Amino acid sequence: MEHITTPKVENVKLLDRYTNRKAANGTLYLTATHLIYVDASAEVRKETWILHHHIATVEKLPLTTAGCPLLIHCKNFHVAHFVIGQERDCHEVYTSLLKLSQPVKPEDLYAFSYNPKMSKDNREIGWKLIDLKVDYQRMGIPNDYWEITDANKDYEVCNTYPPEIVVPRAANKATVIGSSRFRSRGRIPVLSYLYKENNAAICRCSQPLSGFSARCLEDEQMLQAIREANPGSPFMYVVDTRPKLNAIANRAAGKGYENEDNYDNIRFKFIGIENIHVMRNSLQKLREVCETKSPSMSDFLTGLENSGWLRHIKAVMDAGVFLAKAVKDEKASVLVHCSDGWDRTAQVCSLASLLLDPFYRTFKGFMVLIEKEWIAMGHKFSHRCGHLDGDPKEVSPVFTQFIECVWQLMQQFPCTFEFNERFLLEIHDHVYSCQFGNFLGTCHKEREDLKIFEKTHSLWPFLLQKKQEFRNPLYRGFTAYKELQPNTLPFSFQFWCGMYNRFDKGMHPKQCVLDHLLSCMSQKMKLEDNASELENKLPFLDGPLPTEACSFPKMGSASKTPMLNTPQDYEGEPPPVLTNGTAVGDVEVMSDVDQKNKENLSKHQDPHDLKDAFGVLDSEAKDGKPQHP
Amino acid sequence: MLGSGAKAAKPSFVSYISPEEIHIKEPIEKEVNPRLLPGELLLCEANTVYKYIQEDGSNRGTYGKLVCTNFKIAFLDEDSASDDNEPQFKNKIVGENDITLQCVDQIYGVYDEKKKLLTGQLRKYPEKLIIYCKDLRVFHFCLRYTKEEEVKRIVSGIVHHSQTPKLLKRLFLFSYASAAPNNTDGRNQTVMFDTLEDWRDELERTKGNVKYKAVVTNEGYRVSEKIYKTISKPPYELLKTDDLSSSLPSLQDIQTAYTRFKQLFLIDNSTDFWATDVKWFSLLESTNWLEIIRRFLKKAIEVAECLERQHTNVLLIEESATDLCCVISSLVQVMMDSYSRTKSGFQSLIQKEWVTGGHGFLDRCNHLHKTDKEEAPVFLLLLNCVWQLVQQYPPAFEFTETYLTVLSDSLYVPIFSTFFFNSQHQKDTNTTGESLKIQSGPFKFLTVWDWSVQFEPKAQALLSNPLYAEKPKPDKSQRKTTRFKHQRQLSLPLTQTKSSPKRGFFREETDHLIKNLLGKRIGKFINSSDEPHNSFREFYDSWHSKPVDYHGLLLPCIDGPEIKVWAQRYLRWIPEAQLHGGGTIATAAKILDLMEEVQSLQVKMDEEHSQAISRDVQAVPMLRNSARLSSLFPFALHQRQSIKPALPTSTWKDLEDEDDLVKRDDEFVDLTGDML
Repeated sequence: MEHITTPKVENVKLLDRYTNRKAANGTLYLTATHLIYVDASAEVRKETWILHHHIATVEKLPLTTAGCPLLIHCKNFHVAHFVIGQERDCHEVYTSLLKLSQPVKPEDLYAFSYNPKMSKDNREIGWKLIDLKVDYQRMGIPNDYWEITDANKDYEVCNTYPPEIVVPRAANKATVIGSSRFRSRGRIPVLSYLYKENNAAICRCSQPLSGFSARCLEDEQMLQAIREANPGSPFMYVVDTRPKLNAIANRAAGKGYENEDNYDNIRFKFIGIENIHVMRNSLQKLREVCETKSPSMSDFLTGLENSGWLRHIKAVMDAGVFLAKAVKDEKASVLVHCSDGWDRTAQVCSLASLLLDPFYRTFKGFMVLIEKEWIAMGHKFSHRCGHLDGDPKEVSPVFTQFIECVWQLMQQFPCTFEFNERFLLEIHDHVYSCQFGNFLGTCHKEREDLKIFEKTHSLWPFLLQKKQEFRNPLYRGFTAYKELQPNTLPFSFQFWCGMYNRFDKGMHPKQCVLDHLLSCMSQKMKLEDNASELENKLPFLDGPLPTEACSFPKMGSASKTPMLNTPQDYEGEPPPVLTNGTAVGDVEVMSDVDQKNKENLSKHQDPHDLKDAFGVLDSEAKDGKPQHP
Repeated sequence: MLGSGAKAAKPSFVSYISPEEIHIKEPIEKEVNPRLLPGELLLCEANTVYKYIQEDGSNRGTYGKLVCTNFKIAFLDEDSASDDNEPQFKNKIVGENDITLQCVDQIYGVYDEKKKLLTGQLRKYPEKLIIYCKDLRVFHFCLRYTKEEEVKRIVSGIVHHSQTPKLLKRLFLFSYASAAPNNTDGRNQTVMFDTLEDWRDELERTKGNVKYKAVVTNEGYRVSEKIYKTISKPPYELLKTDDLSSSLPSLQDIQTAYTRFKQLFLIDNSTDFWATDVKWFSLLESTNWLEIIRRFLKKAIEVAECLERQHTNVLLIEESATDLCCVISSLVQVMMDSYSRTKSGFQSLIQKEWVTGGHGFLDRCNHLHKTDKEEAPVFLLLLNCVWQLVQQYPPAFEFTETYLTVLSDSLYVPIFSTFFFNSQHQKDTNTTGESLKIQSGPFKFLTVWDWSVQFEPKAQALLSNPLYAEKPKPDKSQRKTTRFKHQRQLSLPLTQTKSSPKRGFFREETDHLIKNLLGKRIGKFINSSDEPHNSFREFYDSWHSKPVDYHGLLLPCIDGPEIKVWAQRYLRWIPEAQLHGGGTIATAAKILDLMEEVQSLQVKMDEEHSQAISRDVQAVPMLRNSARLSSLFPFALHQRQSIKPALPTSTWKDLEDEDDLVKRDDEFVDLTGDML
C-alpha cells in the first residue's frame, strides 16, 4: 500500500484502440491489487479491472491537449490507453504502477495476501489434488525397468529438480551422482513419459558438459541404462532441441552436446528451436502487428510472417511430433535436452505426451501435465513471466508458446480435448496473476523456501469449480482418439486471435458456436432429465396420460429440432460468459467478482462444493483409465 | 505451372525407377469401358497409361486407359471397373478420375524432364502429361508405355477438345439436352426469374411494389440483348451513385490475383510444397487475393450502410454492370436479407443477379476458349466472399461450405445451362428452334439447382448446415406491425440494387439519369471521400458492438486476421493437408451426433407424452461414428492418403483400427458423468 500515493483520479479518459468511438470518461482507482477504471459516460456502469501483476509495461506518452496519456501493456495482451487530465496525477499513477506491477520481495506477490475464505483443510486438500506419483503409476511405474527414487530428497543431485525423480533401475546411486556432475546444473536424465504399450520412454535432461572432448563414464552408463530399459529397440534418440550453431557455440564454454562416438547406439539429432531471446523479440513483433489499427491484409500477413511467431510455434510442434513418432512408430526411447532443459525441453516433452496420451487431454490430465513437466521440473516461471523486479532478459513467452501449441492442436482436432480455449486462457492468465502459489518461484525447492504450500492456494481446485464453462462440447470422450498426428504444414498454423487480440472485442465473432453448443449440451441434459422423470412417473399411471401430469405441455409441439433454433431460445437465458472477452477481463478479480460471475452461471447448476470437485475428479480418473488392449 | 518456368526443370519429374519395377498390379487386361452420359461420344483413347497417385517421387500409381469424350477426359483403371471402392461423397456425373473439358485449366507435357505448356498443334509428343484442373486437382499421366499412335491421338485429342476455341453449339450441353430430354421439374423452390410473375413475387416479397413495378419492356430484346425481357423499372428518385470501376479492383486485377493465388495450391510435387514453409504468409500476401476479398466485403458494407442507415438508394455503376455489380449487389443482399442465406434464397439470388442479370459466364470462365482476355473469376470471388461470412457466422446460413465448394465445381459441368450462357438472350436464341439448323428445338436444359442430378440424398445432406438457426415463424399480428417496417428498409434497397444492371440497356433513359446525377450528386459523393469512410467505420463499429441477430443485418469482420483462406476448396486434394480425425468435419460430425441425440430424446418425450406419431430421426449415415474421418472428407479419397512422413520417422500406422472407434456407451458416460 505504501506505493499508492493517489488512490483515485477523476476525469480520466479511456481510449478505445480498436474502434473510433468516443473515448470513455471516468474515474481511475488504484487498490492494493488492481487498477480499476469506472466508466461514467456509459449508460450502464462499466468497469475495467487490471491486475497489477498483469501489467507488463507502463509508458507515459508526450503531453497532449487532452491531457497526459498513460499506455499500459498487459501480459495477457490487454492494452489500455488512458488520458489523465493532470500531469502530476499521471506521474503518480505511473510511478505507483511501476512498483506495484513488479514487487521486489516475493512476499508482496498477490498469492500471499489472497484470501478466498476457505478452510485450512480445504486449502491443504487443494494442494494434494495433483499427485504425480499417481501419474507414474498410471504409466506402470515402478516396474522392472524404472523406479521412483528419492535420491534428490535433499537436493543433492540437482537443486532445481523435485525430491522424487524417476530413473532407470539399472542406474545406481554412483551413476546418478556421476552423471549429475557432467550435466549442466546437475539436471540428469530423468523420465518424463513412458509409453506403456511398447516401453519406449521420453526422458529429459540438460546439456552435457562435454566441451570439445570431455566425456563421463557415468553419464554414458546412464544413457545406456535408459536405452536398455526399452529392450524392444536397439537404439535410442538423443534430441538437442537447439539450433546446431547454438549448441556448437556452447562447446567453447565447456558445454555442448553428446558425441555419438562416446555413447553406444544413440542417434543424435538437432531440432532447431530458437532461444528465449529470439522468442521474446518475436512476440514483441507480433504484439506490434496485433496493435495495428484495422490492419489491411498486407499489413497483417507481412507483419505476421516477419514476426516469425508461427514459425517458432511450428518448430516446437515439429519437435513434439518427432518425439511422438519416434516413440510410437519406431518404438525407440528419446532423451531430450536444450541448454538447461527447462524451457524448450519442457515444451517439447509436454507436447509429445499430449500427442501420445489422451489422458493429458482431459481436465485432470492437463493439470497433471503442467505440474509434472513445468512446475516440478523447474521451469523458471518467476523469471520467464517477470513476476518480480528482475532481469528483463530472463523474460520469455516459453509457456505461452506451449499453450498456443495446445490451442493449435485444438483447432486441428476439435473433438479431442475435454476442455476448451477458455481453459487455456484462464491458465495463461493465472501463470502471470500470481494469485495462486503454483507458478511462483523457479523450482520446487524455492517454493518450499517461500512456504507456498502453507501460505497460498492452489489454482487447480478453483479451475475445477468453473469446469462447466471450460468444457468442450465437442469432446468425444476419452477413448475416441489415442495418438494425434497433427499437420505441421505452414498453413495449418493459425493466428490465435482469441489470445493476442482477446481484448479487442470488435475482432471476435459475436456469439461463438462454443456458447451455442454449451447451451445445447445443457438443453440436452434437461431433456434427458425430463425423459427419465417421465419414465419414473409412468408406472404410477394407468391408461392414457392426463395432460396435467405432464410438466412440459409445449415441448411436444415445439419445432422438430429444438436445438437448431436455440439462438432465440437461449438469448433469454444466457449461458456462462456469453459476451466474449468481457467477463474474461474481470476474471482476475476472483475474490469479489467471482461470486458475481458464479451467479451468472447457468441456473441449473448446483454450486460446487470443493469436495465435490475432488470426488468428480476421482471418479473421472477411474473412468479415464486408458483401455489399452 | 503458370509463371514458374524455372520449376519445370526440376528433376522430380524423372522416374529413375520405371513404374514396372515398383508397381504391384499388372497392366489391366480386361476391357474397361467408360461410362457415357446420354449424348456423350468417345472421341479417342489410349491404353497402358500410367497414372501417378501423387507426384511425390515414389512413382506409385496404376495402369489404365485414358479416354477423351465430347464431355470429359477420363482415366479408367481396374478400380473404376469395380464398385466396391466407391467414395462416400460421390458425384454422379463427374467421377473421381473424370475431368470435364471445361474443368481443364492447363495442360503441360513433359519432354526430357522439361515442362512445356500444350495449347495448339503439337509437333512432338510428350512422355508425360500433367493436367491442372480448375477445381484444383492435378493429374499426372505417364505415356511412356503407351503405343506411339495412341499417344499422338490422345494428346492431340485432349489438347484440341479442351484448349482450342469452340463454338457455343458444340458444348456438350446441347448434345446432352437433345439426347436426354429433361422431364424433371428442377426448380426446387428456386426462383428462376424468367417470368414476369417471378419478378412480381419478388417485389411483393421485398415490399418493393410500393414504388417499383415489374414491366415487360424488353420483349424480344429490343432494348438490350444483355438482359431478360422482364425487368423492374426504377422510378427516378434521388440516389447515391457508386462507380465500381473506379472504387474496386479491376477484372484484370482479380484475374491476376486469382491466378497467383491458385498456384499456391496446384502442387506439382510434395517437395516444393514443404519448401513454402518459411514464406507462406508472404506468398499469400503477394497474391493479393485475400485483400481483394476484403475490399469487396468492405464495399458491400459501405453500400449496406447507405441503405440501412442513410436510407439512400444506391445505383451501382460499371461499364457493363454485369461483373462487379453482381458481386456487390449479391453480397449486400446476403448481408441484409436473411432469405438470401437459405439455400433456395441464395439460389434465387444467383438466378436473379447473375444468370438473368446477364453475367457473362461463358467469357468469364473462358468455357469456349475464344480469348483469354475476358477470363476473370468473378463468380468465384462472390463465393469466396460468401464463404467468409459463412465461416464467421455459421448459424446464419442454411448451407455449408461444402455447398459452396460443390457449387464452384458445378461451374465446369456442362450439362447444366446455368453457367453456360452469357445472358438470358443468348440462351433463348440458342434454345428455340428457329436459330438451330442442326437440331429441332426447343431444348430443355437442366438447372444446376437440381442437386439430385449430381448427388444422392445422403450426399446432399452434407450441403445443409445442421447449426442453421431457422427463422421463427412470426405470429400474424406481429407480422403486420414489426415486420413490415423492417422489410421495407430491407426491400427498397434490394430492388434498387437489383435495378443496377440497367445502365447498359435503358440507353436513353439511363443516360439522361446519369447525366443528371453526375452533375449534381456524384461529384459530391466522390469528392468527399473522408465523409463516407468515417460514417462507414462508425456504422461498422456500432453494428459490431451489438448482439448479432442471425436473421437481421449481418456484417462481416474485415480486419486482416479475419479474412481466411477457404481451406476446403483449396486444400482438399492435397494429401499432406489431411488430418485423421480432425478438421472442421470432426466438428460437423460431432454436432450431428448431438443433434441426433436431442432429436431422439425429443421423440422419446413426444411418445411418452401423447403416443405421438413417431418421427423420422434424420441423420447423415456417413458421419456416424466418424471419430477418425479425414479432415478432407467429403473430398478425401482412400487412394490419396499421404505416404510421405513429415519427419524422418516411419509412417504412422493406419489409424482406422476398429478398436479405436468410439463406443457410444463410453461417450454417454463422458458427457453426463460429472455434469451434475
